[in-house]
Amino acid sequence: MLVEESIKSAISSIKTNRVRSFLTALAIIIGTAAVIAVIGIGSSASKALEEDIDELGPRTLSIFPSQRKRGGVSSGFNPLVIKDAEALAKNTEHNWMIAPAMSGNRQVKYQNNNISGEINGYLPINFKVRGFDLGHGRLFTDKENLGRKKVVVLGSKVPGELKKSVKDILNQDILIAGTSYRVIGVLEEEGSTGWQNPDDDLYVPLLTASQRIFGTDRLGWINVGISNDTNVDYVMMTIEEILRQKHDIGPGGENDFRINDWSQFSDLRRQATGIFTALIAGIAGISLIVGGIGVMNIMLVSVTERTREIGLRKALGATHKSIMMQFIIEAVLLCVLGGLIGVFIGTSLLYLFATFNDWPFAMPISAIIGSITFSALVGLFFGIWPAKRAAQLDPAVSLRYE
Amino acid sequence: MIINVKDIKKSYTVGTQEVNALRGINLSVEKGEFISIMGPSGSGKTTLMNIIGCLDTPSSGEYELNGSLVSKLEDDELARIRNKEIGFVFQSFNLLAKNSVLENVMLPLKYAGFEKSEAVKKSNEVIDKVGLSDRLAHTPAELSGGQQQRVAIARALVNKPSIIFADEPTGNLDSKTGKEVMTIFKELNASGQTIILITHEESIANQSNRIITIKDGLIKSDNRGTHD
Ligand SMILES: Nc1ncnc2c1ncn2[C@@H]1O[C@H](COP(=O)(O)OP(=O)(O)O)[C@@H](O)[C@H]1O
Ligand SMILES: [Mg+2]
Repeated sequence: MLVEESIKSAISSIKTNRVRSFLTALAIIIGTAAVIAVIGIGSSASKALEEDIDELGPRTLSIFPSQRKRGGVSSGFNPLVIKDAEALAKNTEHNWMIAPAMSGNRQVKYQNNNISGEINGYLPINFKVRGFDLGHGRLFTDKENLGRKKVVVLGSKVPGELKKSVKDILNQDILIAGTSYRVIGVLEEEGSTGWQNPDDDLYVPLLTASQRIFGTDRLGWINVGISNDTNVDYVMMTIEEILRQKHDIGPGGENDFRINDWSQFSDLRRQATGIFTALIAGIAGISLIVGGIGVMNIMLVSVTERTREIGLRKALGATHKSIMMQFIIEAVLLCVLGGLIGVFIGTSLLYLFATFNDWPFAMPISAIIGSITFSALVGLFFGIWPAKRAAQLDPAVSLRYE
Repeated sequence: MIINVKDIKKSYTVGTQEVNALRGINLSVEKGEFISIMGPSGSGKTTLMNIIGCLDTPSSGEYELNGSLVSKLEDDELARIRNKEIGFVFQSFNLLAKNSVLENVMLPLKYAGFEKSEAVKKSNEVIDKVGLSDRLAHTPAELSGGQQQRVAIARALVNKPSIIFADEPTGNLDSKTGKEVMTIFKELNASGQTIILITHEESIANQSNRIITIKDGLIKSDNRGTHD
């Protein structure tokens, strides 16, 4: 019942001095709002990242050619070639999708319009590995690849760049480096992934690209699509084994290719986001402590103003402990109210921010509970001294206080 | 004997000057007495009340309340005594402005650790005694001065104290409401309640059965029961 009395008294005191209480709690409000918004933005960002990765479809490893050194001396460039991809594709131990690709810029022309387009040589399976969806028409087939057919699939923005609608350009012939190619399909908009912009590119069968456009069997990269439950380390070992054998690399020799695990890269990015979030949230947390000093200040004022009330309560039998409790509860309540308002504001900010950036709205409940708990602790810590001052007041002197 | 005070002295140091508020008070109070303390302003009446009310401790001397020595007790023990054994009534009422009549009267019971339902019951009884049952939910600002002082009396009574101290309880009231308040004190005393009342006014003091006058921190006279 005493706790109830303390809470009632605290609420009444905060209500009596509405404006002052609000101003006092302002630093707590701002601090909590900042902490909540930052943590929320951080977690929404990594959720957005996760969704991006999920959209990539199955997990993808990428193999790139790389400089090989022997005894510290560079021994030239050892390309990845189509035969390497075929060797990988022959392996049946792993249920993987081998997607070799080569690319380069070529002149693209349709009627009077000229653009410079990034031409990608793809196998049909490449579209699946990248998770590209077809918007109009069709994709090319393995048979068309083997036949080096002159067909092309356009990224979603290419028709626009050629000043044509999809309907106008589909099933028409365009010129790539002066040779005419039949447009058989247009992709759906994929969006930029940060390092690539698939919507601006053109896609032709790999063997067509190799023999008719680029005149080489050198690949730019090989993507390896694996399912999410695959043992990545084992897959990497197998790739190494096959390629080293293909490239005649003896024991102790260095690889002339490297394998990227994109999801590892995302993990890193996620980790970096996490560290950054924690850092900013920590800085924002400091403003909570500054707010605590303000609360202490106002509590000291409140104790002085209520000297007579404290004297009366003591005359009626309030102990040291019960007076302490009354004022600590008041400080904690003030901070918790500030914290609640701050959470509300911070969450609203996050909501606006997430909506604006088209991010998912992810507010960890632990951040809300954590920051309110922290506000309460700030109130507790900074309320102790004023409460002690109140409890130590001499009742006889306090009752004479005007 | 409820109160037995032996050679109580109290001095304050203000700056470099020493103020001797009480200079050796001897006093004993029996159960059921109704005592008035009179004396000029600054003579030490409130200081004496604070000490025998356990709000303050004497600089020297001994004080027994209900047979136990209290002049050397710790803070929390004094708080317990103030809560259970003593009821205060002040000149300026000292009610909590935001609280209702009922809540004001319940306050000592909260500090005593009573359950809410029991506290409400006990409070209602004493509020009934001072005739304010129809004002339970009113706040002090909604009451007249006389009514406020009656709430304060109810609050002083609620824990059934051994003794009630009233420091100039009619000082802020007009003579008519002052009389009403005195009627309540007389009724309480008639039912056995020990009361010590500080006052300036002879007409008030004359209604008690023992008048003590204080001057410069010393008892000047102590006259027992002349009135009926
Ligand atoms: N806390 C204090 N500090 C210093 N002097 C005090 C204090 N309390 C009371 N006094 C002094 O003690 C004397 C007695 O005061 P008080 O008991 O209030 O007198 P009364 O109630 O009879 O008017 C006065 O001179 C007053 O100024
Ligand atoms: Mg006085």
